[in-house]
Amino acid sequence: MAILPRDDDEDVALSLTMAVIAASPTPLLLLDGEFRLVVASTSFCQSFGIDPGTATGCEVFMLGAGEWNVGSLRKLLVGIASGVAQIEPCEMDLKRSGKETRRLIVQVSQLVYEDLDHPRLLMAVADVTDARSGVRAKDEAIAHIGVLLQEVRHRVANSLQIVSAVLLQTARRTNSVETREQLKDAHNRVMSVAALERQLSASPYGDEIVELRTYFTTLCDNIAASLIDDSQCITLSVTGSGLVTPRVSVSLGLIVTELIINAVKHAFPHGRSGRIEIGYAANGSHWTLSVSDDGIGPPIDAGLDNTKLGTSIVRALAKQLDANVEVTLGNPGTIVRIECAKVALGGENDGFMPTAPSQEDGQRKQGDHVLERSNTNGHAARR
Amino acid sequence: MDMPHVDSACKTLMIVEDEVLVAMTLRDELEEAGYDVLDLTERPEEAIAFALESAPDLALVNIQLNGRNDGIALAEQLKALNIPVLFISGQVSRAKTAQTVAIGSMPKPYSPTDMVLAVTWLLASLKGDESRFRPAGLEVFPTNTDEIASAQ
Repeated sequence: MAILPRDDDEDVALSLTMAVIAASPTPLLLLDGEFRLVVASTSFCQSFGIDPGTATGCEVFMLGAGEWNVGSLRKLLVGIASGVAQIEPCEMDLKRSGKETRRLIVQVSQLVYEDLDHPRLLMAVADVTDARSGVRAKDEAIAHIGVLLQEVRHRVANSLQIVSAVLLQTARRTNSVETREQLKDAHNRVMSVAALERQLSASPYGDEIVELRTYFTTLCDNIAASLIDDSQCITLSVTGSGLVTPRVSVSLGLIVTELIINAVKHAFPHGRSGRIEIGYAANGSHWTLSVSDDGIGPPIDAGLDNTKLGTSIVRALAKQLDANVEVTLGNPGTIVRIECAKVALGGENDGFMPTAPSQEDGQRKQGDHVLERSNTNGHAARR
Repeated sequence: MDMPHVDSACKTLMIVEDEVLVAMTLRDELEEAGYDVLDLTERPEEAIAFALESAPDLALVNIQLNGRNDGIALAEQLKALNIPVLFISGQVSRAKTAQTVAIGSMPKPYSPTDMVLAVTWLLASLKGDESRFRPAGLEVFPTNTDEIASAQ
């Protein structure tokens, strides 16, 4: 059996309710069924310049100079009072003469209590003006950084183009065939980095990841266009794929460039036709990059010239990647493998994003004869 | 790679580029491939004068010319003279926003041999032949308004 409260208990309860609302740090209003103000929190009155003495009993829309008479607020209050379920909070602009417009989020709920004849609505107001302007400032800063990044990219592209042009102009004007070849090789190295820059500019992955198959295919196209005569039929193909960071991809791209240049120059003498295949396979931190050709193979004495620039570039870059360089006899031709089998520590993968190895890639053919294996002293590529 | 001389016979090109070494390298490569290349210029007014006098088959235009983005306005004027434009700029996004005034973009950094292939492809495609080798860096812009709107 319910115990009915005494009148003085009701007075105490009502007084406590009013005090709780008045002391709320969040701007709060208690309204009656006609949207008249029963009590406002001190925080509401201070935030929005309302005099609690004159406001009590006023319809909420008449507060201040009528700035609360806003369509979205009226619609929200009417909806809640009529019992329409799940009305979302409304956003409104509070416009006051001589003051900055404030962006408010207003939430209203109908209080459920025993006196059905006197409905009460609790209205909470959050001023999100400053938070929104913070978000806007952040968005503007991000957009500004994007513009700066584009400008840097543009300058890098321009600079690479100029460097490339200087090398080609010098190559054109030199009488020495050897020097001309070396300058063209240098041009190809610059274009290897340039291809990466261009891929990053248009990458759907952003600036953080390079898709190697696309990158190696572009390198093959560039090198084929610059080194292979129409009279010679040398096919370049790429198998496998992987995702790596730009830092790692620069090294891999330069290695591939050197090995292709080497194969084109030495594996197919006298207009011989053939095929060069670039493969990449990765499994966790273990990865293999291979460049194989079906050309004439290395000379019998395997007298690889350690002083050649291409060789030293491949060796140095492989060392930087903690990888071994291994040159083996193909059947026919030559296979150069750059292989890294180090154990990853604590999730550290040094810029390599694991991808499943392709079935056809990265597998040692039975019977391959290892000519050389080294990551410090070996001759990687030159025949 | 030997360039296709047959395709380039009697075709005249104009290069508008403010980096003189880049322009020279491009000119040398295109001439070696058999194209006639007008005197190099970096000034839009001069480019218009050359265009009126020689009516080149294609204009290769850098967007930024001497620190100003005059290349887009120049492309607009050349389009009005029925001279197709290929943007040769590292400003990839700016080129994209100006695709109504050009037929394509070959962004820096490009290799000059790729640029020859791009020019050859574009000139052939203007005659309806798209069977030539198209270098990976060449972006071809849509030609009708609907396609341009959806691309943007």
